[in-house]
This record gives sequence, C-alpha cells and structure tokens, in this order.
Amino acid sequence: MSSTLMYFLGFSMIYILMAWSIYLPYRVKHLHFLTVATMAVTSYMGGILAVNFGWSFVPTLLLSIVIGALISYLISHTIGNAPTFTVVIVGITFVFIIKTVIENTDYLGGTIGLFGIPMLDHPLIFLLVFLLVVGYFLYRIEHSRIGRAASVIFTDEDLAKSMGIKPKQIGMLFQTISGGIAGSAGVFYAFFVGSLFPDFFTFHLIGTLMTILFIGGYTTMWGVIPAALILRGIPMILPSSIASWRLLIYGVLLVAIIAIKPKGLITKNMLWKLLKKR
Amino acid sequence: MEFFIAQVLNGLSLGSIYVLLVTGFNLMLLVAKIIQFAYPQFVVISMYATWAVLRATNNVILAILVTIVVSIALNLLSEPIFRRITSIKGTDINATFVASIGLSMVLVEIMSHSFNQGFPISFSDSWVGGSVFRYGIINISRSSIFAWVGGIIVVVAFFYLLYRTMVGRSFRAIAENLYVAKLFGIPIFKTSMMSYLIAGLLGGFIALLLSMLIGTASPWLGESVALKVLAVSIVAGLGNLKGGLFVGLALGVVESFAIGYVAGSWSNVIAFVIMLIVILTKPKGLFGAAVE
Amino acid sequence: MNNNETTFLNMNNVNVFYDSIQALKNVSLEVAKGEFVVLIGANGAGKSTLLKSILNIQAPKGSINFKGKELTKLNTDKIVANGISIIPEGHLIFNSMSVLENLQLGAYHGKKNEQSIENILEYFPILRERKEQTAGTLSGGEQQMLSIGRGLLSDPELILVDEPSLGLAPKIVNDIFNILVKLNNIGYTILLSEQNAKKSLEIADRAYVLETGNIVMEGKADDLLNNEEIKDAYFGGNI
Ligand SMILES: Nc1ncnc2c1ncn2[C@@H]1O[C@H](COP(=O)(O)OP(=O)(O)OP(=O)(O)O)[C@@H](O)[C@H]1O
Ligand SMILES: [Mg+2]
Repeated sequence: MSSTLMYFLGFSMIYILMAWSIYLPYRVKHLHFLTVATMAVTSYMGGILAVNFGWSFVPTLLLSIVIGALISYLISHTIGNAPTFTVVIVGITFVFIIKTVIENTDYLGGTIGLFGIPMLDHPLIFLLVFLLVVGYFLYRIEHSRIGRAASVIFTDEDLAKSMGIKPKQIGMLFQTISGGIAGSAGVFYAFFVGSLFPDFFTFHLIGTLMTILFIGGYTTMWGVIPAALILRGIPMILPSSIASWRLLIYGVLLVAIIAIKPKGLITKNMLWKLLKKR
Repeated sequence: MEFFIAQVLNGLSLGSIYVLLVTGFNLMLLVAKIIQFAYPQFVVISMYATWAVLRATNNVILAILVTIVVSIALNLLSEPIFRRITSIKGTDINATFVASIGLSMVLVEIMSHSFNQGFPISFSDSWVGGSVFRYGIINISRSSIFAWVGGIIVVVAFFYLLYRTMVGRSFRAIAENLYVAKLFGIPIFKTSMMSYLIAGLLGGFIALLLSMLIGTASPWLGESVALKVLAVSIVAGLGNLKGGLFVGLALGVVESFAIGYVAGSWSNVIAFVIMLIVILTKPKGLFGAAVE
Repeated sequence: MNNNETTFLNMNNVNVFYDSIQALKNVSLEVAKGEFVVLIGANGAGKSTLLKSILNIQAPKGSINFKGKELTKLNTDKIVANGISIIPEGHLIFNSMSVLENLQLGAYHGKKNEQSIENILEYFPILRERKEQTAGTLSGGEQQMLSIGRGLLSDPELILVDEPSLGLAPKIVNDIFNILVKLNNIGYTILLSEQNAKKSLEIADRAYVLETGNIVMEGKADDLLNNEEIKDAYFGGNI
C-alpha cells in the first residue's frame, strides 16, 4: 500500500473518531471541544509512556480511554447541562491552557515537539477494528431509549423535562463517552504519526472537526464518515499551492452548509428514505 | 505600591478595549440575535487596513477614516449571511456561532496568506506614541490615555444611545422580546442593520485604539481575542451589557498583573484559568444572562 | 357596503396556515371607516390568527386591502406605519422597561412629541401615577391600559383589539369596554375579538362569527344579539 494512501486512511479514521466524539454530545446541543484538549493530553501521555517508560500500545490505549472519560466526567458535573456556549468556551479555554502548558514544559518537548514515539506496525488494522467497535457502541446508544431521549432534549429541553427525561444525566453520560473516544484518538494519533507538536491541537483542529461534523451532518452518526474521507482527501490530491488554503476552503464550506443546508449533507431522514426504498 | 498602580493603569487601558469589544459583541447578540465569533477578526482586519494606509500614505486622518469604513463595511457585509441563516426554519443561534467560526477561519487564512507574507505587522513609533508621564516605574503612554478616554467616551455615548434615543430603545425592545417589538411596529430589519452599523463603528474605534496600545497585529490575534470576548460575555452573563463593562475591565487588570508577576507565555494562561474557574462555578455568569 | 367610499379594511379569501394546520379558511371580511366590528368565536376558532394576519405577523395567503393598499406583501412595521395597530391578547408589553418607555416605543411611528404622550396620560390617569414604574410590575388591568395607550400612540386609524377582557375582573372589563366605545366615538375604527359575545355585541355595530377558521355568520350586532343560534352557542356562561 502506498504511504500516501496509508496516511490518508489513517488520518481519516482518527478524524472520524474525533468527529464522533464531538457528534455524540452535540446530540444534546453541546459543542464539546474539551475533547480536543483531551486528545492533546492523552497523545502526550501516550508518547511519554511509550518513549520514557516503554509502555506498549494496547495498555496505553486502554489507560487513555479511562483518562479521557475521567476528565470529561469530572468537568461534566458542572457543564453536563450548561448552555451551549458555556460548554464551548470551557472546551476552547482548556485547549488553550493545555497548549500553553505543553509549549512551556521542556519534558514534553515544548514548542519543538515530542519525537521518537514507536509507530504501530499495522495501524490501519488496529484503527479499523477500534472504529468498528466504537461505531457499534454509538449505534446501540443511538437506537436505545437514551438516544431517543437525546433527540427530545435537542428539540425541546422543557418538553424533555416534562416527560421525566433528565438532561443533565444524559449530558454527563454523552460528555463522558465522548471524552473516552477522544482519549483513544489521542493515543492512536501519537502512535500513528510518531511525533507530536502543540500547534496541532488548536483552533485549526477545532475548525476542521466542526467542518467535518456540520458538512457530514449532525443528525446521524454516519455523516462524518464520508465528510472526513472527502475533506481529508481533497487537499491530498490538490497541488500544494491550493492545498495550503485548506482551512479557507473548510471555512467557506462551513459557512455555506449552515446557510444552505444546516443539517448537513447526510441526514437521518435521507437515510430512512434510502432504507425504505430497498 | 508604585508597581501596583502601574499594573492597574496598564490593565485598565487593556480592559477598556475588552469592554468595547464585548459591548459590540453583546449588541449583535441582543439585537441581531447572533453569536458573532468573527467580530474580533473584523477588528484585526481593520488594524491591517490602518497599517496598510499608514505605510502607503503616512496620512493619519486617511488611516483613521479607512479603518472605520473597513470595519463598518465588513460588519454590514456579513449581515446578509447571518440574516439568511437566522431566517431558516428550525435553526437556532448555534448555527450563527458555527458560521461565524467558519468566517473566522476564512479571515485568518486570508490574512496569513496575503498580508506581509503572513508575518505579524508592527505599527510605527509615531502611531504608537511615546510616554507622556513618568513617575518611577509608573509610565503613562499616549496610547493608554487614548484607550482610557476613548473607552469612557464611547461607553458613555453608547449608553446614552441605548437609554435616551429611539434607536437605543428599539435595541433594548428587540433584546427583551422580538415578538412584542414586532407587535409594537418597531422595524426589525432596519434596527438590526443599525446594530451591525454601530458594532462596525465601534469595531473601527477598537482597531485604532488597539493598534496604538499593542503596536502589532498578527493573523492569529483575532482568535485569542475572540475567545476572550466570548469568555468575558459568558462570565458576565451572556448579553449582559453592564456586566460586560465590569468583567471586561477586570480581565484587563488581571492580565496586566499576570504579565507583571508571571514569566512569559504563562501569563496568558492565568486569566483563562480564572475565567474557567468562574464559568465552571457559575455556568450562567456572574450577573445573569440576558439571553438563553 | 361594497362601494369604494366605505371600503376601509377589506379581507378577501384569506387563508392562514401554521405549518400544515389551516387556521383560517377562505375568510372574507370588511370593516368600514368609523365602524365598531366584533369578531366572536370559541377558543381556537382563529380570532387571534385573523388579527395577526392583518398585520402580517402570521403570513396570510389571499388579499388584504387597507385604504387601497395591499397589506399582504408589507412587513408588520410598514402596516403599523400605515395606520393599523394591535392591542394583543395577554397585554404584551416590555416588562423590564418603564411605563413611559413603553409609551415612547409605542410612538415609534406616531408623532414623537411630549404632547401626544401627555394626552394618553391624561386619558389614563393610572398610568401617569406610574410613569416611572417598571411595566412588568403593573397589575393586569393597568398593563391592559398601558397596552391600549401605547397602541394609540402610533396614530392608528384602525385598532385591532384581541380579547381585552381575558383574565380581568368584571369591573375592569367594563372600564375597558367603555374606553373602546369612547375611542370609537371619537373616530377610531375598531375590530375587536371577543369570547364574551353578549357584552361585545351590545357595544358593536356589526359582527362576524368564526368557527374553526370559517366565518359562519355575519350581520348587524343587534340582529345577532337576538339570534337564537347565537344565544345558544355563545351566551351560555356569560349572562
Ligand atoms: N403558533 C401556532 N402554531 C401552530 N398552531 C397555532 C399557532 N397559533 C395558533 N394556532 C392554532 O390555530 C388555531 C386558531 O388559533 P387562534 O389563536 O387564532 O384562536 P383564537 O380564536 O384566538 O382562540 P382564543 O380564544 O383561545 O384566543 C388553533 O387551532 C391553534 O391551535
Ligand atoms: Mg386568541
């Protein structure tokens, strides 16, 4: 397999993981960017454990899921049912703080970066299996009582409360799961790329993930898959002079989709119709 | 003591800028009903305009005019996009936030690709101005005075507008209840346009004051400023204009002390940590949110 | 009735939809200048919807003509500027603002001078006493007075009044009905929506009866007052 294709598929799958970690809490209107900070934390944690303590991949991955979920769980006590923008600002603030901490900590490589993380032998297989597991898990949540409760909260929180649904519980649950997914994405990223830079975990990443989520569509978990593949893929086939405008293109697409088709390209209704036809 | 006074004075000049920024941001939130995350980006682009005119002509009056015109134009030009988004059935204010992040990404990329090869720009000493008063380590620069005086004048003028004129009353009416405002016959579209216009005018002033006060700008300045503005608005209570005045000034002072006591880039984090603690303990803000 | 001189407000085959629910069905209605017309109907009959459609608050399909101008394509503020104001159901005012500010906002399209507000305060002495009070803290009756007062300040020729008696004590209801009669006597045209059929038919010139979005009856108020069907259907609890 060509290395370009391998990078493309690997990155896409990591972005799908991250997009799912943002998708799930957005089911109850939480744009949970804390996941980006979490990804930074677990990728550096994974890198340090591997480089300095000789940890292998699987235990690092398991630990990172626990740590990621724990971070989100602790914070979710206060923002489990906070208004959307409170959740947003808490997340972005954490991203900013974590980035500054990394940049100013020599042990983590500072602004120069952390190198020499052992790469996985078969990253794509690991990623694919993991993605299927996470996907199945999300699918089960979607089609459970909790998933339907979330839909009610999304359209009308007061109605949800009157039906006996507890928005905070569901918000906390989704944020926690989302943290776990982001934690895993961090370790996959570290072991896939082999080197880490604080600059990766910034507004760029937030913007890219938002673009994937909203272009793909936030009403079903499947939308982010083609969106991640296409949005990661297009810059790879464009000449580098145009590809360097990648974020500009994302920005334009983000504005356009919200103004034209705010639910995204792939919606739940659309998938239903497709299923019925067959 | 001297050190303390010096930090407070510095903090107040930076704080005035935050106050103006959050006021413009809140105005659009209350009247146009949007979360304009790209508003600080418009300010930064206007700073680039100041810089470009000064470099090309060295004409101060022209630079001031162009800055204000650019700022107003950017805000007015964004209006149809946001109007389109808010008029779609079933979308809420979150959609305007997402779109303004997209807009923000576009603007950052344009600045980093097109101006000064993406390097930060710096303003000439004559624009920034020197010190006008010195006592020990207390150093009052011309730009600080501009920031204080400008800040006070603009805030007073803004609140005069808000409480003593028909436009201002209509702003508050729409902020309180859009439906009732409609029943009263208040022109929603025209008043909303006015809020973009005034936010644009305000943005122009901010660009001028900020370029003098910090003397530089970069394509990434807007991102951290936008983050602070949103944070200030939330800490004060989203859309709470009066609360924004207090928290904006407080942020300036806190940052100034952080810079005084803590080394280098760590100082930037202090203010964020404090705001984070406040938000986590009071998710709806210190003074109560004016919008949900 | 149909000649141009008397045609003031003219609704022709108006339909209004809330998404898929049709709330008004082919409604045609006329109000002549200086008339006092009442619209009666049960809960959910579509009275509020009809009034809202005139101001294009709920978009109407069909034609609504006021003094020769087509209203359906105009925004609400333009319609108010053309001389129609609405005193909405549930006395909707700006609760956090003072009484005076509410009046000033009511005058957005009117003569924005002290005198016109002074006239209103003259007319509603309770409001003068409470000029600086926050409107949200007024009693229900006072809020209704404020709502009427500000509705007059946009210099309307036609006033749409939506169930002013809702939730108020009989004494206050009488006061408000008296005010409406006085306003009609000094030249304001009034289209009133009411569930209190008897009382409103006693003061109106003409009436329309709405049932599930259809106009099922129209005529002189006196005639309807003595109509057996109307008596049975609408006078039950109100006598
Ligand atoms: N915003 C809305 N969305 C959906 N349906 C509505 C809406 N407003 C009114 N309706 C429906 O339209 C119909 C007419 O309502 P309307 O408020 O005009 O009745 P009404 O005659 O004023 O009743 P009431 O005497 O209770 O005020 C009702 O069936 C109502 O449920
Ligand atoms: Mg009604």
